Amino acid sequence: MLHTKIVDSKRGKIDIVKAEKFLSSSKYGAIIYFIGTVRNLNENKKVTGITYDSKDSLVLKSFEEIYKDSEKKLNIKDKAVFIEHVKGYVSVEEKSIIIGVGCKHRVEAYQLSRYIIEEIKKRTPIWKKEHYSKNDSEWLKGVSIQQN
Amino acid sequence: MKIIVELYGATKDLSSKNFLEIDIKNNSTIQDVKFEIIKFIDKKFEGNKNLKQIIESSAFCSENDKIISENYIISKSQTIGIIPPIGGG
Repeated sequence: MLHTKIVDSKRGKIDIVKAEKFLSSSKYGAIIYFIGTVRNLNENKKVTGITYDSKDSLVLKSFEEIYKDSEKKLNIKDKAVFIEHVKGYVSVEEKSIIIGVGCKHRVEAYQLSRYIIEEIKKRTPIWKKEHYSKNDSEWLKGVSIQQN
Repeated sequence: MKIIVELYGATKDLSSKNFLEIDIKNNSTIQDVKFEIIKFIDKKFEGNKNLKQIIESSAFCSENDKIISENYIISKSQTIGIIPPIGGG
């Protein structure tokens, strides 16, 4: 069971209550939430917010692929996964991503949660532009996904 | 023929329109598209090294959301997306 969504910060916020509702089931003995938030300091620069850019269709496709691949890699069949990521401007302390996973047992849930965030970092086309206290901003360097 | 290159992430600094319209020959490859974008950077951004490096390390995606290789042949006018190095989460 999978829920994925990109939430435009101009229209709404990502909310853990939605994840709780999606994952509430007596089937799962272990539920883990990973919440990414905007940090106030990066490389000694005072951060005021981040603008997230996203290639929406590819992002949603990558979430589905990561979900499917987790079955092969981790062999966890009975699971529920909730992934929402923000696009647009987000202030310091606000949430940028929520990953909620529900599994039968805690070991599986920890593995799955970690697997999903690490794969998103490697595969999902989302970009960050950091905004600083001196009114300057900068696109952060990322990971190339070139295929040759 | 003309193709549209949708811009994402740091490549959005190349145009306020969020896309570039590029003239290429029939059956050009992604490598040729990169070359044209680099020529555009030389002309409009005084050869900005950072922008050029971003283009060199970018991937591209087709209209049907597949990541395509440097040798992918563009045989008709179409829209492709440039995928600079990623960093979400």
